[in-house]
Amino acid sequence: MNGINQNTLRRLISIGMLAVLLVLFTILIGAGSGKFLSQENLIAIVRDASVPGIIGVGITYVIITSGIDLSTGSAIALVGMVMANIYAYTLLPIPIMILMGILTGLACGLVNGYIVARMEIPEFIGTLATMSVFRALTYVIAIRDVNGVIKSQPMNVSQYTFLGNTIDGTPSGLPYVCIALALFVIVGQIVLRHTRFGTYIYAVGANKKAATLSGINVERVRMMVYVITGFCVSIGAVFTTARLQSATTALGTDFEFSPIAAAVVGGVALSGGSGDVVGTLIGALFMAALENGVRKLDMNTAFQYIIKGVIIVLVVMFDATYKARMDRIAKEKGAKEGLE
Amino acid sequence: MAELNQTNLETILEAKGIYKSFSGVPVLQDVHFEVAKGEVHALMGENGAGKSTLIKIITGVYSKDQGQIYWEGKPVEINNYQDCQKLGVACIYQELSVIPPLTVAQNVFLGREPRNGKLIDFRKMNRMTQELIDKYEFPLKPTTIVDNLGIGQRQLIEILKGLSQDSKLLIMDEPTASLSGKEAEMLFKIIQTLRNQGVSIIYISHRLEEVYMLSDRLTILRDGKNAALLQKHEIIPAKVIETMIGKVVDESSGSRKMLQSREGEVRLDVKGLTDKSDRYRNISFQVHRGEILGLGGLIGAGRTEVVRAIYGVDKAQSGEVWLDGVKLNPSPRNSINAGIGFVPEDRRNQGFIPLLSTTRNVALTNYDIVKKNGSAVSDKDELEMSKRAIQAIDIRPSDPNKEVGVMSGGNQQKVVLGKWLMRDLKLLIVDEPTAGIDVGAKDEIYSILEDLASKGVAIIVVTSDLQELLRVSHRILVMRKGNIVKEFKNVEVTQSKVLAAGQGVEEVEEAG
Repeated sequence: MNGINQNTLRRLISIGMLAVLLVLFTILIGAGSGKFLSQENLIAIVRDASVPGIIGVGITYVIITSGIDLSTGSAIALVGMVMANIYAYTLLPIPIMILMGILTGLACGLVNGYIVARMEIPEFIGTLATMSVFRALTYVIAIRDVNGVIKSQPMNVSQYTFLGNTIDGTPSGLPYVCIALALFVIVGQIVLRHTRFGTYIYAVGANKKAATLSGINVERVRMMVYVITGFCVSIGAVFTTARLQSATTALGTDFEFSPIAAAVVGGVALSGGSGDVVGTLIGALFMAALENGVRKLDMNTAFQYIIKGVIIVLVVMFDATYKARMDRIAKEKGAKEGLE
Repeated sequence: MAELNQTNLETILEAKGIYKSFSGVPVLQDVHFEVAKGEVHALMGENGAGKSTLIKIITGVYSKDQGQIYWEGKPVEINNYQDCQKLGVACIYQELSVIPPLTVAQNVFLGREPRNGKLIDFRKMNRMTQELIDKYEFPLKPTTIVDNLGIGQRQLIEILKGLSQDSKLLIMDEPTASLSGKEAEMLFKIIQTLRNQGVSIIYISHRLEEVYMLSDRLTILRDGKNAALLQKHEIIPAKVIETMIGKVVDESSGSRKMLQSREGEVRLDVKGLTDKSDRYRNISFQVHRGEILGLGGLIGAGRTEVVRAIYGVDKAQSGEVWLDGVKLNPSPRNSINAGIGFVPEDRRNQGFIPLLSTTRNVALTNYDIVKKNGSAVSDKDELEMSKRAIQAIDIRPSDPNKEVGVMSGGNQQKVVLGKWLMRDLKLLIVDEPTAGIDVGAKDEIYSILEDLASKGVAIIVVTSDLQELLRVSHRILVMRKGNIVKEFKNVEVTQSKVLAAGQGVEEVEEAG
């Protein structure tokens, strides 16, 4: 058909937003070592975008099915604390510890999926409840000193902490977490766009009834997207704890909403059925660049949250009006022209 | 179009002696229906004649009480939609079931995507879709995202989906209801191509001209029984209308009426109302003080859209609305202030708030007049008003605190009417006022309308129920395809005449 595809246009807009932001900060802060536009700062931005971006892959799936997952931040803390316990109280090797962490993440996802898809509890309420429960469980299993006071558990064996570092070990090198981000985005995008499962994610989000009539197991698809999010969360938790070299009960409070914000800015509509993983990556980079620039400008960090909030509202508003307009145009075009 | 070779009729589907009743009320009685291979078989009947029930039995949505269905001569049991899909029957749903963010090809092969290992083989899928498109001459491209397509094209995708599963019989229920003229023409062309390729089609429509143009045979149901099976050359509009309504019915007292117009002072004056999306054009008419104007025509003729524009829910592209000599700027708030009441078609979703009580529902529209002196509204004021409404039109249960959602359809509608009765009305618009309401309550609603008219309120009644149209109207306008095509005024009307006007049929012989 004539004219530009809605999705292509939305992609151009998010890329444009990111480009404008990068140019703006380069002008305001400048280029060169220690400034905004420098190799190490750009890598720092990508590193900051990595964990939200990895979790964002799962969140993208969830939101495309017209669901939501509010529990990712708490799940990170729980996964981290499970690993810290294994680290502190057992002699299990590091890979087994990581495996247990991943299993914990999958279990969190399974619980969310069961509540939402099987018990048919509204996504918002269901994951709000697990957000609270996962965080509470983290406190329950938190490591305490002899007086029963929660203490931070160091996890500083080098065969674990190297994951939080760069490949070549220098501060300006490429962090491992960025490699993980790239892997997640590539695999996530291929699964979404080139497999049956990915197609069904869109189908479930756009029209559950039609999906059912086409023989798609809607319940299973909805369950799976939460389990996948749980997996992404566990990988995010591994890299976060490896970098911090410890697990705390407050872990992941920054990641409560940042994957959702990244997805929304990147064009994943909360109404479901649209957007993709690459969009979420762009959204995550945008948010990380915004944080970075605001910090470098020595502005009050509170501004960062105001700007983020305003941008999310503007983007959602744009998406809603834009979608309504495109639907109307398609309808009128069809009505007037019939078909050529 | 060549007529089917009558000697070569190979029956693909046959339903014999079908009986069905809902809670003791017979809906289908000894119905016989058959479709031949490569035939477009139309199914017509008034609302409630049993068309949908018959189709739902064929597609396995309802179970039949008695009777047998044969597929290609063999008896079959169809217990759910999957069963009927397996036989090769595809139903093109009125509410579209496409997935907008996916491409045409992805929609056609949803759930059955060809794969290369774990990944979808897009090249193969697009090629297979293109082959289907070429075979049946559909104006579509496999790679177009459905989001960018109009309703007509989306419907074609559903047809294509059916064909891709080797369906031999397509069921189309009012397929043109939401299509524009151009889109409908495209669909007709496709239907003829399909028919020439040996696909059978059951075509359900209220629109006689479509049926006349497309179908090889026509089955007419009336009151849940076979009224006629007509061959193509027997499909004569006047005869079809007569069969649908039934001569006997048309001659009975409720079905003919001498219209007595009451032309007093003009209350509502509509001048050249035209829609943005061309659903109605250049609509002009007047309603007088104390007059009940009936607006008839087929569903989709543009009646609801016109009254919504008058009330101001949807904006017209051009045209003017005058009330008592004052030009209105239509919006619901302005209309309410000017003295217009509106009872919408979809009572449950647009008429009232089910979880709220009668009191709250009545108060909701009337907070500006609940209390005259401007201080805060108290529960007592609201209660007092709802008691007046309950008394005025006998809402039952008469408990003002009862949730409206749990009441019967008739009483719900009375609550909706009651809201407006509390105001100083000049014009009341009611759209399908008695849909889903039992007979006794219908009469009560008619008396409320008549009572209001006698007090000088002008009333517009939109209804698809011909009996109702004749029963309440002082004057009747008939719309067809977005135009007013006929006015009945000071003449004797029958249901057949109104239906004929709505169908665009020139003249029906006087019954008897």
